[in-house]
Parts: sequence; structure tokens; C-alpha cells
Amino acid sequence: MKCAISLRAKYLSIFISVTFGFSAFCMIGVATAAEDPWLVLQKTAYAARELGYQGVFVYQNGKETRSVQITHMKKDGLEVARNVILDNSIKSGQAREVFSQGSDIVIFNPKKEKMVIEKRRGQNMFPAMFPTDFQLIKASYNAKLGPLENVAGRQAQVVELIPNDALRYSYKIWADIEYGILLKVTLLNVNQETLEQIEFNQLSMMKSQDANWFQPTIDVTKHYEMEEEPTAQRVTKEWELEKLPSGYRKIDHVERIMPGKTVAINQMIFSDGIASVSLFIEPLTKGMRPKTGHKLVGSTNICANVIDGYQIVVVGEVPAATVMQIAKAVRFKKQTELH
Amino acid sequence: MKQQLSAFIDGEIVPNEAPHLITAVKAGGEVKQAWSDYHLIGDVMRGDQVLNTDLTSRIMLALESEPTILVPNLQEVVNNQSLEFPELGSITNKVSMKKTNESHSSYSNRLWSIAASVAAVFFVGVMTLQQYMQEDTLAPVQIAQELPEEYLAAHQFAAPSSAAYYIQNASFTEQGR
Repeated sequence: MKCAISLRAKYLSIFISVTFGFSAFCMIGVATAAEDPWLVLQKTAYAARELGYQGVFVYQNGKETRSVQITHMKKDGLEVARNVILDNSIKSGQAREVFSQGSDIVIFNPKKEKMVIEKRRGQNMFPAMFPTDFQLIKASYNAKLGPLENVAGRQAQVVELIPNDALRYSYKIWADIEYGILLKVTLLNVNQETLEQIEFNQLSMMKSQDANWFQPTIDVTKHYEMEEEPTAQRVTKEWELEKLPSGYRKIDHVERIMPGKTVAINQMIFSDGIASVSLFIEPLTKGMRPKTGHKLVGSTNICANVIDGYQIVVVGEVPAATVMQIAKAVRFKKQTELH
Repeated sequence: MKQQLSAFIDGEIVPNEAPHLITAVKAGGEVKQAWSDYHLIGDVMRGDQVLNTDLTSRIMLALESEPTILVPNLQEVVNNQSLEFPELGSITNKVSMKKTNESHSSYSNRLWSIAASVAAVFFVGVMTLQQYMQEDTLAPVQIAQELPEEYLAAHQFAAPSSAAYYIQNASFTEQGR
């Protein structure tokens, strides 16, 4: 909004100095429409991480809607951001605040009389949705340049990401033509129905390097405590995945404890560069009701089944065929002894 | 009082201007609680060690230190020191001990399971395995009828580029608290 030419020039120089590889398409020019849709997308990835900005975006998935106030800047070479989840149902001063510094995330989560501090690792949060490396995405999607449209009072270049197969959804992206920031993104199914949407309602660039906003709003009526990190015994068996859906790679494997559970659950995360799927494997224990079947919630497909006494659950913002294929790929190795 | 305390921790008020605050913290109760709360917030925001210390090690540490304290307890030590405050580390330990004491049965169960797992991980593992192999499992439930929200939330937390964290269901986050 406050788009003084000098400011733009300043951010351009930051681009060039900080990200050498990125400088190539900076020189193509910010205000002129880029020819290559991949460059537009790549610019959103850098702009979201390098620039200072604040705004409000609205996230919609199925029937759920949330407004989030974001403040982001790069300070001393590290990304710092504050996200405040604005929700009509919660009183002011009780909003959930999410602070990120690099990939460390600290969440202040109000719960009745206390404030629970949660620690997470995270990356690629909106508007930094796209990774800086597009190799994996390029293998599964085609990018197509669309028209210029207005979002949040700013002019945006539309880019469509169209999947090569039925194992992922398509994306429509609106990128700010001046700063390159992702202004809006929608997730569409094969019938072009919108499943998920994130859109800036307002966005302004920040000139100041002052990071005074990077502190939580302290509620003096609440007691603060760290989230409990429950421990549990590990009961795991060897398994393997026979055939993953094409384009998906395993990007992470964590062991986590679900609320009310005593046994560690293995969670594997697969991604095609933009869409992601979680696979959960846990032993069925006494009193646990096995889950089976399939359900679509907003953009998320969930599928559950039982193999060899193990509960398998697959969750992802991908078509049903993809979660089912991953669920069926799990094979347990024959063994009689525990490790 | 709490506002002043926050300013004091931030270094906006120097110690000799705030003897009343120090007295209030030493007296315990609400102000002392706020003192440790504000330090916790500060540590978390700075990304200090408290983030990397899991509850188990804190509990084990606290348990370990328990029998060795035959001499005055922490509170008395604090009272005997004029302007010196206990290190945050000791406060953190005390906080986790306090949580252990005041929490409900679920917490003591968990503590028990920690002790058990230290003593006989293998044995417990075998027991659990036998348990679910012998038991007839309950009839499966269709997830279409009963949404497995805990998996949804876990996916949203871990998955890259997921904005779904923002709409995380409140009923899930309240579970187990």
C-alpha cells in the first residue's frame, strides 16, 4: 500500500544482496509481467521470506474460516513472524499467538485459566507456501500463466498449477506484481471446485526494522506453562512401503504421542513439493477401537484401515486415491521378536 | 504489581528501585508465580534451553535432587539470600515438581509409566504386545461416523505448507489437558 518507489528499490536491493540466485529474475523487472510462470512462483517463495510486511489473511477450508493477522520481517538474517489468530468466538487478549523464528515456532495457546506454551518446528507457512526449490513440484505439475487480477487492492499475476495426474489437486495462485508476494491461493479439485482458500484482505510493506511487535501479549490473569510432553513406551515393528504414489517422497518421520494414548505413534510425511500426506502407524492396543473407512473434511482426505494388528491412518490435502494408495502400500515384515 | 514485575524482569526497573517487588516475589504466592511465568515466557521467546528440555528429564532431575536435599529447602535458601534470586533452572524444576503434585491422576499415571519404562522397557513392551494379541479387538468404527481429529491435527502440525493449523479444532486442543 505504502508503495514508495524508494521502498521498492530498497527491497529489490535486499533481494539481490541476500539471494544471489534470485537476482537473475529481479533484473527481469518487478513491475513487468514475467514470461515464465515458474519464475512468478519462485518469486513468491523468496518475497515471503525476505520482505517485511504486515497484513490480515483469511483462511477457508470447508466450512471453517479464520482470519490471521501476520507481521513478518527478516532481522539479522533470520525470519521472524507473528501470527495472531483472530476469531470472533474468543475475547480480545485471548487470541492464539504464533511466533516463528527461523523454523522454530512458539505458540501461546489460551486454555481456560492457563496459557499453554507449545513448541513446534515448521516451515512453508503462508504466504511462504512454496519451497525455494521447485524441482519436486515441476515433476508433478505444469504451470500456466493467467490474467492480471486484483486482490486486496493490489494487482496480481494469476498462475495455475495443473497436476500431471489424478493424485493431486490443482492450485490457482495470485502473486503481487510489485513485490512478488503470494496474495491468494486456492486449491481446486478435478471439477474446479474450491476446496481451500487463503487470501490477504489487506497487506502493507514494512519499512521499519523495529521488532518490538515480536513479543506475546501477556495476560496477567493466566498462569503460563510449557505444554506437557508425555512419554510412552515404543512398540514398533518393521514395516516397508511397497509403492508410493508417483511424485511423492518421504520428507519426514517422527514419533509422537497423541492425547490420551500411551504408545508412540509413527508419523511419516510425504510430499510432492506442495501437497502433503501423513501416514500414521500404531499398534492396536487393548480397548482401542480400530478405525476403518474414508472421509473427506474440507480439502483433507482421511482413510483408515487395519493391517496385521496395526492401525493405519492416512491424512492429506490430496485426492482420495492418493491417501488410499499410501494406506495400501504398508507391509509389515514377518518377525516374531521385538527389538 | 504484575506490570511492574514484568518491567523489572525486562530490566526497565533496577533492583534497588524495586525492593517491594523482591519482597513480594520472596513472599511467594501469586507474585512468585508471575515471576516464574514471565521468566518462562522470556526464555521461550529467546529460544533458551527450556525449550529443549523435555518433561521427563526435568522430572527425573527433580526426583534425583529430592532425597539429597536434607538441608534447608529452596524456599528457605531464597529467604536467606538477600538480593540474590535462585537461578531460573531451579525455578523450572520447582515448577515441574509443583505440576506433578497438583495435577490429577492422569499425571501420576504418566509418572508411573515413566518409572516403569525406565525399569523394564522390554518387559512392558512384551506385555503390551501379548495383551493386544490375545484380546479380541473391538468392532471397528467407521471414521465417517467418528472423525479421528487427533490424526488430523497431528498432520496439520507436521505437514509443510499447511495453513490448516489455524482452524485446528478447539475440542482437540482441550483433550488431555
